[in-house]
Amino acid sequence: MATYILRRTLQAIPIIIGISVVVFAIVYLAPGDPTARFRTPKVPPEQIEALIRAYGLDRPVHEQYISWASTFFQVWNPDAWGYSFLSGDPVLEKVLYRVPPTLLLMGSALLVTIVVAIPVGMLAALRQYSLTDKVITTLSTFTYAIPSFLVGAYALYFGAVLLPELTNGAIKFPSFGMESLGSRGDPLDLLWHLILPVLTLSVISIAGWSRYMRSSMLDVLHQDYVRTAKAKGLPRRAVIYQHALRNALIPIVTLIGLSIPGLIAGAAITETIFTWPGLGSLFVEAVGTRDYPVVLALTMVGGVAVIAGNLLADILYGLVDPRIRY
Amino acid sequence: MSGDPVGNDILLSVRDLRTAFDTMDGTVKAVDGVSFAIRRGETLGVVGESGCGKSVTALSILRLIERPGRIVGGSVDFGGRDLLAMSESEIRDVRGNRIAMIFQEPMTSLNPVYTCGRQIAETVQAHRSVSRAEAWEKAVEMLDLVGIPDAGRRAKQFPHQMSGGMRQRVMIAMALSTDPDLLIADEPTTALDVTIQAQIFELIARLREERRMAMLLITHDLGVIAEMADDVVVMYAGQVVEQGDVRSVMTDPHHPYTRGLLASIPRIGERRHRLEVIPGVVPNPLNLPAGCLFRRRCPYAMEICETPPHLTDLGGGRSSRCWLDAEGRAPEVTLPEAAHG
Ligand SMILES: Nc1ncnc2c1ncn2[C@@H]1O[C@H](COP(=O)(O)OP(=O)(O)OP(=O)(O)O)[C@@H](O)[C@H]1O
Ligand SMILES: [Mg+2]
Repeated sequence: MATYILRRTLQAIPIIIGISVVVFAIVYLAPGDPTARFRTPKVPPEQIEALIRAYGLDRPVHEQYISWASTFFQVWNPDAWGYSFLSGDPVLEKVLYRVPPTLLLMGSALLVTIVVAIPVGMLAALRQYSLTDKVITTLSTFTYAIPSFLVGAYALYFGAVLLPELTNGAIKFPSFGMESLGSRGDPLDLLWHLILPVLTLSVISIAGWSRYMRSSMLDVLHQDYVRTAKAKGLPRRAVIYQHALRNALIPIVTLIGLSIPGLIAGAAITETIFTWPGLGSLFVEAVGTRDYPVVLALTMVGGVAVIAGNLLADILYGLVDPRIRY
Repeated sequence: MSGDPVGNDILLSVRDLRTAFDTMDGTVKAVDGVSFAIRRGETLGVVGESGCGKSVTALSILRLIERPGRIVGGSVDFGGRDLLAMSESEIRDVRGNRIAMIFQEPMTSLNPVYTCGRQIAETVQAHRSVSRAEAWEKAVEMLDLVGIPDAGRRAKQFPHQMSGGMRQRVMIAMALSTDPDLLIADEPTTALDVTIQAQIFELIARLREERRMAMLLITHDLGVIAEMADDVVVMYAGQVVEQGDVRSVMTDPHHPYTRGLLASIPRIGERRHRLEVIPGVVPNPLNLPAGCLFRRRCPYAMEICETPPHLTDLGGGRSSRCWLDAEGRAPEVTLPEAAHG
């Protein structure tokens, strides 16, 4: 197992280098100019020139790449990821500062998704073609098709506008940020702020995951070993929970591993709607202002997270399926 | 056996069993009015071509038919109770306990995520009030009994760590762990190598003998029936077309389909240009011909065959579903010398 992880990590090195080249090239070739917002008649051209030199934007592209890439993995240096064009702060610090809110938001959403989607998908499979199944399947197809910004907008409208009106202000969900002014990290206040964005994120993923769970369970229910379990005279409970569910969860566990990158990268749209101070909203800000060092750093973090998530998925798979040994 | 069953000698008696599948294209009558009986300690063979309803019959006995299939009618009498009329918890007490089953596909019939020992122990615990440790001990003992060397270590292995033959032995160990009165073996060797097949049959025959256990042995191979069974039921397109004791059915087959099956067994030392096979294919179960279902493939087909024949009692426990028999045994009809290459 240890050698397997080591081997996979070594294999990841060329992939990460490849990702860095592609990411850098995309950002370099992207239309738009980081100095554009300074180019007003009031700013003399010499100053723009000086800015371009200071950022290193006048150097040839391969030099720019090497100077960026060679320091990128020195994460113990606060300036390893360069400085924000926008604020001049070290990018590494800026990103690290945004990690906990994103992990909290995405982790909660994933937890809610798993806790709801697995029983729902299982129920639909056990009652295939029944009214319950049809309602669940229709609802999940419908929900899955709604874009997340719409779900977010509806959640905002419902939780922060309609509900307060209906209850005369007794219930009002916060619509902004992750804590109220002066709350000083009160966990209840944080939880209160989490509800709407978590709801937005999980509604859609519950739809997807429950369908996945349904088909996984259906697949397993038709396996010969489930028939064997019945033929042995086991009670229905044991047939379903010990024999079917245990196998149906194997692909789900892999899916959890694969959703880790999304967890780290954050959900750009939802975080922006709820002004959640996470990586997703940072990314949207950085792209909007062409803050290239931040965009580069976040894209790389995303790429590494994909590789790490894949590795984690494979390790989890090996843990839950005795047929897989590394 | 369609004659009067000899009182309490009968262990299991299936009467007019009918099982259908609702498919997109219509209802498939997979088993259509099958009746037979198994005597205590004896082996009944069920033989017929692929798709004739052997597995569906076996699964119907234990009520293991899943949607879109359903048991439409009939009864399965076992120890004075109708299995088809029992409550869910009553039939569970029979399954794996008094009637055990082994399947056609040893590779997929064991759960991949549990050890073989655990899967046997689980069966024991479901039907006997024993501790986990005792159940495990029983599992190891059973694995040893079915000839798995180093059973204690093998019990801790997962199914994928065993060969197909070993897995079928595990299935047999599991089936016999509760000392059932009846073992249903649905083509237990079809998926295995020829050499392994012989070993598995030897094992089954030995254990059956030792435990005086009755068996319903499903196969498409009359050779196996001749070796292992006391009585035989020949099925065709969901119906019984002939039944009786093995010796007389083999030496004096009545139904043209049985004759065809017998003629297709290669005999050692016999030189033939090709095996005689029954011409034509099994009729489409969604579109069965009117009259005798075998009519289109039958070398003796007559006008009357357009009317469905009934199962005719031939005496001595034998019966046949053919107009030749219903009309009083037809005079010696010889096989037409048609399709010889
Ligand atoms: N799940 C199903 N859905 C629809 N029809 C089915 C289903 N299972 C069985 N059948 C029908 O029942 C018929 C009998 O099937 P069965 O499995 O009993 O055949 P068999 O005699 O065991 O054949 P084999 O020798 O190949 O195992 C098939 O021809 C098919 O038409
Ligand atoms: Mg079969």
